[in-house]
Amino acid sequence: MKERTISGTLFDTGNFLFMLFILLLMVFPFVYILSYSLSSPNMLKGGLVLFPAGFTFDSYAKAFGDPAVLKGAFVSVARALIGPAVMLFFTSMAAYVLTRNDLVFAKFFRKYFVFTLYISSGIIPMYLLMGYLELKGTFLIYIVPGAVSVFSMVLIKTYIEGLPKELEEAAVVDGANDFRLFFQVIFPICTPVFAAVVLFDCVNQWNAFIDTQIYNTMSPNLYPLQYVLYNTLNQINSLDQLKVQGQTQLSAITPQTFKMAITVITVLPIACVYPFLQKYFIKGLLVGSIKG
Amino acid sequence: MITKIVKQRYLFAMLLPAVLIVFTFSYVPIFGWIIAFVNYRPGVPLFSSEWVGLKQFVAFFTETKDFVYLLRNTLSINIGALIANLGTAFVFALLLNEIRLKFFGRLIQTVTFFPFFISWIIIYSLSSSLFATSSGAINETLVQWGWIKEGINVLGDPKYAWAFIILIGVWKFLGYNSVIFISSIASIPSEFYEAAQIDGANRFQRMWYITIPNLIPTLIVLLILNSGWILNSNFEQFYLFTNTTNWEKMEVLDIYIYRYGLQLLNYPYATAVGIMKTVISLVIIVLVNATAKKTTGKAIF
Repeated sequence: MKERTISGTLFDTGNFLFMLFILLLMVFPFVYILSYSLSSPNMLKGGLVLFPAGFTFDSYAKAFGDPAVLKGAFVSVARALIGPAVMLFFTSMAAYVLTRNDLVFAKFFRKYFVFTLYISSGIIPMYLLMGYLELKGTFLIYIVPGAVSVFSMVLIKTYIEGLPKELEEAAVVDGANDFRLFFQVIFPICTPVFAAVVLFDCVNQWNAFIDTQIYNTMSPNLYPLQYVLYNTLNQINSLDQLKVQGQTQLSAITPQTFKMAITVITVLPIACVYPFLQKYFIKGLLVGSIKG
Repeated sequence: MITKIVKQRYLFAMLLPAVLIVFTFSYVPIFGWIIAFVNYRPGVPLFSSEWVGLKQFVAFFTETKDFVYLLRNTLSINIGALIANLGTAFVFALLLNEIRLKFFGRLIQTVTFFPFFISWIIIYSLSSSLFATSSGAINETLVQWGWIKEGINVLGDPKYAWAFIILIGVWKFLGYNSVIFISSIASIPSEFYEAAQIDGANRFQRMWYITIPNLIPTLIVLLILNSGWILNSNFEQFYLFTNTTNWEKMEVLDIYIYRYGLQLLNYPYATAVGIMKTVISLVIIVLVNATAKKTTGKAIF
């Protein structure tokens, strides 16, 4: 396939430069906040920062010294661990049952779940329901409503349907009941699809903030890291308005560097695991796009 | 039948929790739609509330002109985003496939996919750091270089609102959207290319006559399938990027429902608007699905 022409070389060069540009566009914002958060404010000249000016961990020391950030990190980690585990338990069992064509009313149950992908009640009835169930202002509101994910169910079901039927038949011959069939035969070989759905859910839990805004604004103990960051951003916006009125401040760190530090802390866990897990994400995405 | 159910008791035991959870959190709230039709007051039992019928629905269309700008914003932004997202992903996948350094190509794909996993808060934080009118890094730099006199108010000026919100979405979803195109390029049989080469087709001809035509069906299917969601906006994105100066170009149905319901506490009105949105979305999805089935043989359900 190798051939060299002038137009081909020109195209290759242009294409390479274009991709480099895309790379820069994707990476630069993160480099910027990282460098800014590691800079000491009186060395910063403003404008685009590529390398930390006056390297210091001061803003991180302040961030980790802030009880709101620590509590937020704890809530976020708890959400991201408990949520996906609970979701996987309920969702995978149901997904397996739906693969069984001998199930009575199988068709009805499949429609029952898929229907909810296309119709949503809207924000107000949901809000009132959470009030009636007394989930408002509790940690459970992060876990219980998401205990079943129909989207994940579709992915897991598709995966199980692709497994060889002989596995189940052999287990049935050996006298396994449906419980054992699922937990001892099917469950262990579903690792790839489980990894995909758990990771998606994990990231969603880590990134969630609107549920706190709607249901838990009155409980600062339940603010996840994202919400702490959101509050910090709001405070800085009002500080900026003060500064316009003629107040300036010079200290070891500014609200801006503090904000950058929290932003970095919030991105970091995802940035760390992402390169190792990307293939699962892509796999899950492709399974989902076949029928989802 | 009964004996079969008894025999399948373990299966039902495994299915039941999911059935109940979905019933509670997806079906029960639909019964809550009734508050749009009664004179709802918190604390008063629903069945003793006065029935007011379609009053709230009529109010939405007659009392204000809100629905005009809401529909304009929702449709313009969502249709614009749909075309921009798929268009850029299509071109990006095509160009990425032509990158000869395989390592570099994989790196690009990994990096572009990353923003998909970043929360909207982070993106909002990044945007305000880079684009804020006076303190934003980009504005500051451009002023320093003397290219502009004062910062451009990208985040607040209604003039830029649509373009900005669409481009931010393109940035976040480029990698995610292109995965499917990249995989459909990978599934084109290599014999096609070999045969074309023997016939003397050069690189551009192979791209033009083989890769692109093979990608177009994927593009059309995605376009059709996603068009069912054009009334649904990404709530968090709009919640964060709508502000007091750009709202007339930015406010979409979902934000309006939130504002009227949870900020102004007008539950019946907000529920009524929500019902209309859901019903119209459903109609669009059914129509789109029927069209998709007829024209491409592929469908959502």
